[in-house]
Amino acid sequence: MKKILKDTCILASLMILAVFAISIIWSGVTDEIKLILQLFLLALIISIINNFFDDYLTVSVIMSYVVKYFAISGVVMLFGFIVGWFYLSNFWMAFIYVGAVLVMAYFLDSFMIKKDIEYINNKINSRG
Amino acid sequence: MQIITRQVEGKPLTVTIEYPEYNESTMRLIQKINSLDLRFSAYDDDKQIRIELSDVYYIENVERKLFIYTKSDVYRFDSTMPQLESIISGTQLVRISRTCIMNTDHLKQIRQVKNSHLEAVLDNDEMLIVSRKYLKDIKRVFKG
Repeated sequence: MKKILKDTCILASLMILAVFAISIIWSGVTDEIKLILQLFLLALIISIINNFFDDYLTVSVIMSYVVKYFAISGVVMLFGFIVGWFYLSNFWMAFIYVGAVLVMAYFLDSFMIKKDIEYINNKINSRG
Repeated sequence: MQIITRQVEGKPLTVTIEYPEYNESTMRLIQKINSLDLRFSAYDDDKQIRIELSDVYYIENVERKLFIYTKSDVYRFDSTMPQLESIISGTQLVRISRTCIMNTDHLKQIRQVKNSHLEAVLDNDEMLIVSRKYLKDIKRVFKG
């Protein structure tokens, strides 16, 4: 199931990129295409930050999510100001968007870690 | 899979693999057999020593210098993490953090310390910190 969901997300991303890449040829960079490209760029920046923290941060799971929350919210806000998503009146919304995604990621991550640990320990026990 | 063994005197240990088609299972089997023969050239002060893969507990990168830890000794290993990672591909050695590679054959347990960091306990009771990012790689070794 996990693999199917992952493959679905990758396929959807590729479909979006392919469709919009062809659209650029016909109609140039419209507002919709610009938004999609900006989202992909933001996703890339967040992935790099996330990867960096995973490598260099050795704190508890909750603490690492708190650090990521503030770092990623800052990046989303900055990016939002640069590309014109946020104004001074609504920039705080970045905290809500990032918070919602990170809460889901935290619970999913905690669950997956427990399952992976269980799997590895079972394998170790079965080899005797 | 059929396993045929026979004694042939006067020849080195030879493994012949016959396969109907070269697929992932065949490739993994070859990698596994190759890994059994893997040895590291390390240094104990200035004395060069050959260390068998099975004797390695973990390899640590300390200030850009690699050290091989066996059950009770430490040796200097002249290599880099990227070079080492290409050598150990397909073996029981796996990266567990930015600076450490562990031999899963000596792994006794993985545990999470009260919602905090992950720890690998080795069979000599040494403990290593495991980065959550690399947990999937450890799991992959056990999936074989």
